[in-house]
Amino acid sequence: MENDTGSQINPQSKAGGFPAGQVLLSGIVGLMLAACINSSALLTDAERLPDGRSRSLSVAIWTPIEAAASAFKLTWPRTVGDSLLGRSSDEGEIALHREQIEVASELPSEEWLVFSAEEEQRAELQLDQGAPHTSGSVWDPENPFTIWVLGDSMVQFFGETFVMMAEKSPSVSATAEPKLASGLSRPDYFDWPARISEVMTTHDPDAVILMFGGNDAQNIRADDGSWLDRFSERWEEEYRRRISLVMDLAASKPERIVLWVGQPPMRGPGFDSRMEQLNDLYRAEANERQGVHYLDLRSLFTDGSGNYARYLLDSSGQLVDVRLTDGVHLSHWGGEWLSEFLLKEIKKSPEVEELWNE
Amino acid sequence: MFCSSLFFYGWWNWRFVFLLLWAIASNWFAGTQIDKHLQLGSKDSARNWMRTAIAGDLALLGVFKYYDFFAVELSNLLGSGTTIPLLELTLPVGISFFTFQAMSYVIDMHRKLIKPMPVLDFAVYLSFFPQLVAGPIVRASEMAPQISRRPDPRQVASGEAFQLILRGLFKKVVISSWLASTIVDDVFANPEGHSSQDVLLGVYGYAIQIYADFSGYTDIAIGVALLLGFRFPTNFDRPYRALSLREFWKRWHITLSSWLRDYLYIPLGGNRGKKADTYRNLLITMILGGLWHGSTWNFVIWGAIHGVALAVERLLPKWQIHPVVRWIATFHVVCFAWIFFRAESLSAAIQVLKTIVIPSGPVDLSNALLMLVLAAMLLAQFIPDSRSEEVKQWLNRRGILTQGLAFGFVLVLIDMFGPDGVAPFIYFQF
Repeated sequence: MENDTGSQINPQSKAGGFPAGQVLLSGIVGLMLAACINSSALLTDAERLPDGRSRSLSVAIWTPIEAAASAFKLTWPRTVGDSLLGRSSDEGEIALHREQIEVASELPSEEWLVFSAEEEQRAELQLDQGAPHTSGSVWDPENPFTIWVLGDSMVQFFGETFVMMAEKSPSVSATAEPKLASGLSRPDYFDWPARISEVMTTHDPDAVILMFGGNDAQNIRADDGSWLDRFSERWEEEYRRRISLVMDLAASKPERIVLWVGQPPMRGPGFDSRMEQLNDLYRAEANERQGVHYLDLRSLFTDGSGNYARYLLDSSGQLVDVRLTDGVHLSHWGGEWLSEFLLKEIKKSPEVEELWNE
Repeated sequence: MFCSSLFFYGWWNWRFVFLLLWAIASNWFAGTQIDKHLQLGSKDSARNWMRTAIAGDLALLGVFKYYDFFAVELSNLLGSGTTIPLLELTLPVGISFFTFQAMSYVIDMHRKLIKPMPVLDFAVYLSFFPQLVAGPIVRASEMAPQISRRPDPRQVASGEAFQLILRGLFKKVVISSWLASTIVDDVFANPEGHSSQDVLLGVYGYAIQIYADFSGYTDIAIGVALLLGFRFPTNFDRPYRALSLREFWKRWHITLSSWLRDYLYIPLGGNRGKKADTYRNLLITMILGGLWHGSTWNFVIWGAIHGVALAVERLLPKWQIHPVVRWIATFHVVCFAWIFFRAESLSAAIQVLKTIVIPSGPVDLSNALLMLVLAAMLLAQFIPDSRSEEVKQWLNRRGILTQGLAFGFVLVLIDMFGPDGVAPFIYFQF
């Protein structure tokens, strides 16, 4: 066992070495080689950074390096490696769906979402009753009631717990799909409208739960390539357009239950205030649609004084930690609370509730 | 070096730099006082200074790491209507590591194993950035001679350092992250949704993931320190080849297990008393070792499982058991304990165990690649030292430019094989 101990330790004892200056130089040469081979990926990463000085600086550094490396074919090993690993195919897939969404968006709304008279009637009934609910379809283990939970890292901390709780019924199939550091502000990083469109088309879920916002309080890029300042008038207009696109995609089928989960209170006052601003936008867009139900989490995750709290009393009077130490994400218990809350919302439709009473 | 380390620590949260400075100042001062009183023959005063310093270090840990846990448990025990105020503080990264190093300094001083370090040397020792946030827990007796000697800039062990850094990055970025996203996170988040086979592989996967994650960080830390002219002690020595729990703890997180042995188990009486006392000491040491990782009951149970298993091992008669059987038994006890270490709660851990026995979901995560990776990582534990040494020597014989170019090329390969969005190191939270 090579367990070095005590004062006998000598950094130079096991091997010969080189002068520090040469090692530094060789390290720099190695890092430069890696930077050149990897420059395309590094430039992409730089472009994905939030708009600001860091991004401008990173893009300014990596653009010429990438150009030079490409000119000398130094990026070739990485490109070949990525294609052998099948890494580049995803981008093509997303681009394809974006195209489909753009086509759909250009269509007049009545052509895009063509409802039958029966569906419209059902939608009106749903509006009368307030809470979203479904048609009287019959679900069973062969033809389960499907729920998709989509969103950013917040979903990662409760998604699987929700799946576990939802699938207590054998007639329910739930899927959680979180994408870290994603949102609606930066489709260049992850194109949620494209993904949601794909999920709706391919899986046609009976219920969809959406949660975005944690990464969205940043400048966004307009179609003309200009950057829109966070919470400016044009920013708000563009961001609301994106919310509305996602909501329309999710609610493209009237009988589908669509729940839009607002951001819970955050520990940092500045971050909390920004999330509240986003919540206002989600709430406003959801209120304009009959098929989307906005869920406010503030009352669920605040203490008696209405403030952020890491520990809260559960129904049996026991203190439990509902938030992680980062003051943002939900803990395991917080995830359970939210999952129970979401299931309660979904069960508001009597036909759906029956699934868990079987 | 000291300023670089403070900058490194402050980059995460500058407020906690003051906490680190306090730990440096208070322990260094206590160390000098202990030495002074020992010189004067005043053993009681020296002991009091040592106790004060340890109490101060434990108070730091207590406030930041354990207060809320005990306050919540006490509130729940006392029942409704009684709420003990909570602090809800952010846990300073690396606090468990640097407070343990600080305690070893004052205790070793009291034991006359070391001499007082100059204040700047001590500051470098406690704040040295490669090991500040996740170890290894380096003793003052190991670092003091290296700091006072000053590294020789004419002989930097670059080949070994590059190899360690690359090995660590490979383990972390490729193996640990891949296992987490392929099976481990899914299985532990929703065990009921998976088959027994998936859950079992998820548990094995976590055993490999945490090894790759933590030993990967250690490799990087040791490699970076080598580039700066310092050699840290070995922290992992292929732990999953162990044929007993006792051997496992000589190979896993060696700097913590030897710390617990020297500063807790032996002072408690070690194995010098009756058998029952030895078992008690083992259990106390391992439970406190579990609590060192975090303030949850799951860590306590993890420590207790190891404590009980170590005691049972001593109880068992010295039968001639085939090494394969011993290996299987040891590995599975370790994996069983990992379930509690990884699960979010006690009920979640029980659910994992239940699902291994009673299948509930479909087999959808297991595949040939996963099994191949798990098998390869386990088999790698049995590669003899000589092989690793050969690679090191081969790299050392190369010219310095070749070393640098190889370093750069392998970095690209690691980045290429690693998944998007690598999670933070597991041991950063401790």
